[in-house]
Amino acid sequence: MSGVGPLARDAATAEFCDAAAAGQFLLRRCPVGHASEPAVVQCTTCGQTDLHWDPAGGGATLVSWAVSWSRPSAGEPARQTILVIGELDEGPWWWTQLADDPPPDPAALRAGIRLRIEFRRADAGHEAVPVFVLA
Amino acid sequence: MTPVGKVYGLTSAQFAAEAVRLAVADAGLRLADVDGLLTSSGVTGGISIDLQRDLGLTDLRLLSHMQAYGSTAGAMVQFASMAVQSGMASVVACVFADSPLQPERRAGAAYGSRRAPAGWWGMLGASGVVGANPMYALAARRHMDRYGTTSEQLGHIAVAQRAWAALNPAAQLREPITLADHQASRWIVEPFHLLDCCLVSNGGIAVIVTTADRAASLAQPPVHVLGWAQAHPGRYLRRDPDFGLVSGAASAGPAALAMAGFDLAEVDVVELYDCYTFTVLLTLEDYGFCPKGEGGPFVASGVLGPAGKLRLNTGGGQLSGYYMWGMTPLSEAVIQARGQAGARQAPAHDVVLVSGNGGVLDHHATLVLASPAAAQ
Repeated sequence: MSGVGPLARDAATAEFCDAAAAGQFLLRRCPVGHASEPAVVQCTTCGQTDLHWDPAGGGATLVSWAVSWSRPSAGEPARQTILVIGELDEGPWWWTQLADDPPPDPAALRAGIRLRIEFRRADAGHEAVPVFVLA
Repeated sequence: MTPVGKVYGLTSAQFAAEAVRLAVADAGLRLADVDGLLTSSGVTGGISIDLQRDLGLTDLRLLSHMQAYGSTAGAMVQFASMAVQSGMASVVACVFADSPLQPERRAGAAYGSRRAPAGWWGMLGASGVVGANPMYALAARRHMDRYGTTSEQLGHIAVAQRAWAALNPAAQLREPITLADHQASRWIVEPFHLLDCCLVSNGGIAVIVTTADRAASLAQPPVHVLGWAQAHPGRYLRRDPDFGLVSGAASAGPAALAMAGFDLAEVDVVELYDCYTFTVLLTLEDYGFCPKGEGGPFVASGVLGPAGKLRLNTGGGQLSGYYMWGMTPLSEAVIQARGQAGARQAPAHDVVLVSGNGGVLDHHATLVLASPAAAQ
């Protein structure tokens, strides 16, 4: 496990980061009720721009996964991070790492495995980063 | 094309200018004959419509900078073709150049240092999803999970392209490799080994697009642009049921062939964009060379390489030849169509199918090129 990196907020992510600090993952929801990925500026289903933030339930299923290897350096073995796409139960997808400690065997992963959103920080001075763990 | 690979001392703009001068001379033209210029740049940027001034091109009738990532080269040829068809311009130079490599700096650093500390991009980076390698690895893994595609099958593509590269004097990596070498090469982002990933190169490549009548009297065998199409699915970092399974190639390929009036069976040479081995496999499926999901068994069946029946990525591609984005498949397609590929020349080269792919399978351009005989 390599952990998450440092992250600062900006104007577009401020509300998302506030909720993340409280353990909530926010989606964008249009007046019709369609859920979109947090970074969108218009609904991915109907195109409306009158979006509001709406907390996701936190459950997801595994879409795909990959194992990122650090370049081995003198005296240090290569470290691996499992990167995943999760499909939130509300529909949108999210790209982040699988943060279980110890990490699961990648060979045991399959599309459709249940995941749960958690949050990790590089340190107390940085924003909380969404991660998935096995549910 | 300029020398490509570990070629130092020129900026991207200088590579671009040199590539245009070389292409114009190769065609038997003078710079003063050029009345259209389309420019494009790679990861280091540095190229703009200022190239007109660098080349001393006056009174142009068409000038623009284009960017659709790895599909740009194909897109430039498409726009240039429409420009000469409409009479807007008569001789259009289309150029790409890049210079990410620096002496004493490893190739990965040239493409791997774009982590942003803030905002949505920063969040992706802080999560460990940095650059193209993880995104394409996630696409490939989804294909593997759905269809049973294996790393060994992807390895067949790497091995075959290296065998082609051995026959290409311009290729950066010409030492033969085996499937075992592929499997033993270090992981970059699993399921990709090092030998699943493209090179990084410096250099510049330009092509000249003109009318068929004009081309017939120039210095080189003409290569006709008979069909083209683009596809931009537009679902990057959004829910995408097709992710890793179907790309824009599935619509652009058949559309370009239909425009050209050819069937897949009539294609003699295939030059596919290969940022990764997986991109080749997916494009083969999407173009219809094998049924969806059967790309793995297809590439492992012995059809690839100089001894196989499919003339695919005959210059070594971007895995082993040189990494000039969409200009890599396009340049090899032109060389093959002209019959100038030397030891790697395909015996039949009347119809050449070319792909460009950009983003994370987000942008696709297809060209169908043909010899004068096939264009009749």
